[in-house]
Amino acid sequence: MEDHISSTVGGITRRSVARTAVAILAVAAGLGLAGAQAAYPDKTFQYVVQSGVGGGSDILARTLAKILHDEKLVPVNMLVENRPGGSGAIAYNFIAGQKANPYVLGGVGVSFFTTPLLGKMTVSYKDFTPLAAIARSPYILAVRADSPIKSVEDIKKHPGLTTGTVGAVSDPALLATMTSQQLGTEIRVVPYDGEGEVLAAMLGGHIDLVYGNPNEILEQVKAGVLRPLAVSSPERMLSLPNVPTFKEQGYDIVHTQLRGIVMPKGVPPEAIAYWEGILKKVAEGDAWKTQYIQRFNEEPIFLDSVEFGKQMDVTSARYEKLMKELKLIK
Amino acid sequence: MLETWGLLLGGLAAASEPAILIAIMVGAIIGLFIGALPGLGPTAGVAILLPVAVSFDGTAAIAALGAVYYGAQYGGAVTAILLGIPGDASATMTVIDGYQMAKRGKAGVALGISVAASFVGGLIGLALLTAFATTIAKAAIAFGPIEMTALMIFSLSLVSVLGGSDPIKAFISLFLGVWIGTIGLDPILGLPRFDFGDVRLFDGIEFSIIAVGLFGLAEMLATPAMSETAVSTKLRFRDLLPRLSDTLRCWRELVSGSLIGFFVGVLPGAGATAATMIAYAFAKRQSKHPETFGDGAMEGVAAPEAANNAASYGSMIPMFALGIPGSGTTAILMGGLLMIGLQPGPMLFATQPDFVWAVFGSFYIGNLALVAITIVLTPLLAACAFLRPGYLYPVVIAIVIYGIFSINYSMFDVALAIGFGVVGYVMAKLGYPPVPLVLGMILGPLLERGIRRTLVASQGDLSVFFKSPIALAIIAVTLALFIVPWLLKRRARAKAASVIAAGA
Repeated sequence: MEDHISSTVGGITRRSVARTAVAILAVAAGLGLAGAQAAYPDKTFQYVVQSGVGGGSDILARTLAKILHDEKLVPVNMLVENRPGGSGAIAYNFIAGQKANPYVLGGVGVSFFTTPLLGKMTVSYKDFTPLAAIARSPYILAVRADSPIKSVEDIKKHPGLTTGTVGAVSDPALLATMTSQQLGTEIRVVPYDGEGEVLAAMLGGHIDLVYGNPNEILEQVKAGVLRPLAVSSPERMLSLPNVPTFKEQGYDIVHTQLRGIVMPKGVPPEAIAYWEGILKKVAEGDAWKTQYIQRFNEEPIFLDSVEFGKQMDVTSARYEKLMKELKLIK
Repeated sequence: MLETWGLLLGGLAAASEPAILIAIMVGAIIGLFIGALPGLGPTAGVAILLPVAVSFDGTAAIAALGAVYYGAQYGGAVTAILLGIPGDASATMTVIDGYQMAKRGKAGVALGISVAASFVGGLIGLALLTAFATTIAKAAIAFGPIEMTALMIFSLSLVSVLGGSDPIKAFISLFLGVWIGTIGLDPILGLPRFDFGDVRLFDGIEFSIIAVGLFGLAEMLATPAMSETAVSTKLRFRDLLPRLSDTLRCWRELVSGSLIGFFVGVLPGAGATAATMIAYAFAKRQSKHPETFGDGAMEGVAAPEAANNAASYGSMIPMFALGIPGSGTTAILMGGLLMIGLQPGPMLFATQPDFVWAVFGSFYIGNLALVAITIVLTPLLAACAFLRPGYLYPVVIAIVIYGIFSINYSMFDVALAIGFGVVGYVMAKLGYPPVPLVLGMILGPLLERGIRRTLVASQGDLSVFFKSPIALAIIAVTLALFIVPWLLKRRARAKAASVIAAGA
């Protein structure tokens, strides 16, 4: 290949190839000595989103990028790039493929765990470095305001209730299975294509129960359309102080969605420490509270790399168990 | 009622502020051009502009994004008519007659009708959106998986009305499309189907890839194989101009198309494509000359274009009134609302009336602006139809390949589009119409979702399909669709024979 190029275009190419090689070596050496040079970060960060523009993961990424820029928390830019497709596989394969590159970031969504579990990807969640989790989204179990079900306990009296979820494997599906097992009844899980469709089916009376993010449910609760029964967080939610947790009602159900950020495997420890610091500042700052937490009704939280990593293990194991129960994997 | 129009007047005044007017114009023009690019439609347009638009002030941002949306609808008809490539699934029906008109040198007339249809459809859709948003939203969600199943069976059956020379071939093409629609992760369990071991097929095949390949590349491959004189195109300036008289002649199709488009567009998930199909089939059924449909009938452009524009406003109703996105494009728009700090939902009209009415006002202004812009551009665009393929096609091929690549930055997609170009070429040579394939690919997955969701909820009990009055009514109409023509044909066979003899 190289011979062919040099024979057709002559010495210029060969020289520039050589020069590029020298440059690559220099960069590689520079990375190796990152500590000594203390220049990190010295170029633009690339944040790869696994879904299209306007979705939850995208909004998180763009809000984070905006705050990093407005508050001048990092000296360089962070570009948000959408690489949707392959149910997350395209984006996560790309990030994992940038091994040891501390300039590539990504967000953790459900497909981060489930698509690798399907066995069609060469990478798994272990091929990433957890940096931190900066928000937490509990789920609210709700019914229509005119529903005869007044409490979680009442679900038992109506066997064969249905709930909607985005895809067969999702947090709401996980919660529905947990609820079924704890109550000793059966909740039928009907997969839809998006949170909007689930909500439409709920309001239209086509499903009986909904497990939703506060962002989707609170608005309907305020309008008097839906009635909340329980929240899936360990403690009550700030925005719904009157709604008890599952735990309080005697059910062993705690599951929340963590909004976490990852990098490829093998990034230098300095990069992890750097981002832990930055993300802690973000999570505790006012800008994040007003532009993300309050706007999307999520709960403030900060988990560092180690704690977030532990949560990733728990979440992946839960999905794996659910997928086995659904006979999606062996 | 009166109060509503008062609020709208306030909204119109608010939307006439210079900053918002600029946002509308910028959005409309960008939308028009993105829509006119083969392979890119309103969803892509809104997605491309979203990150930029949210940095504007709230109302201006949504006014601009809305303008991109309906601007792209106007623009989508341009490629459908001039090149025979639908920019969006909802422009597929426009290709059938629009492209035939352009081939016969009547591109200007076809474009004129499409502009008029877009305007009338837009206006009727907007008026209904303004007047009944909350009422209609409540009715729309009564449509669940059972009703959706019935509606999709009805829509797919309409392929029999679309006609073409050979209905068997049309249905084979339809089923091929339904199969293509099953490629990717199964929508219910999430297991991969027909992925050929490749994760790049997990999300299925993008509409633009099929559209560009099957319609665009296939046609361009086929043209050099035809003799130079196959299409007679004598350039007359008069043919480049839209004519008001043509528009007036299509008034029935414009009104029926708009109404069908709006009400089908409101249903979450049903979408504009089903609406265009129903509008086209209805227009053909009502027509005194159904045989001209598919052969360059003006009404065949008017009905679907009115429908898809009206549908775009219909699909906004669930978003504004309930906080539920009714289509792919409105899902992105809703992301925009969230990003500027507004929560779409039942409270939006109550808590942010100024915003909602200013946005609605901006839609009216944007539609008027687009009519002016497109009428001025029509002769220029129509002239493209007279360019020699040797000059036109290389440019178009370059643009569409770039467009396909830019969706996912994937050469795999480009290869797929070229592959579908070959498939389309073979289909054209063998006389298989490509339109049913696209409809099958868009509507088939909706049918599958309807059936499987119903059966998951009922635990496999089929009788639930017969317990929904809406579904029963739709199924009855579907059956009538097949039985009535057969009865009529039998009763009037002698009569029909004499008419054909007279016509010949």
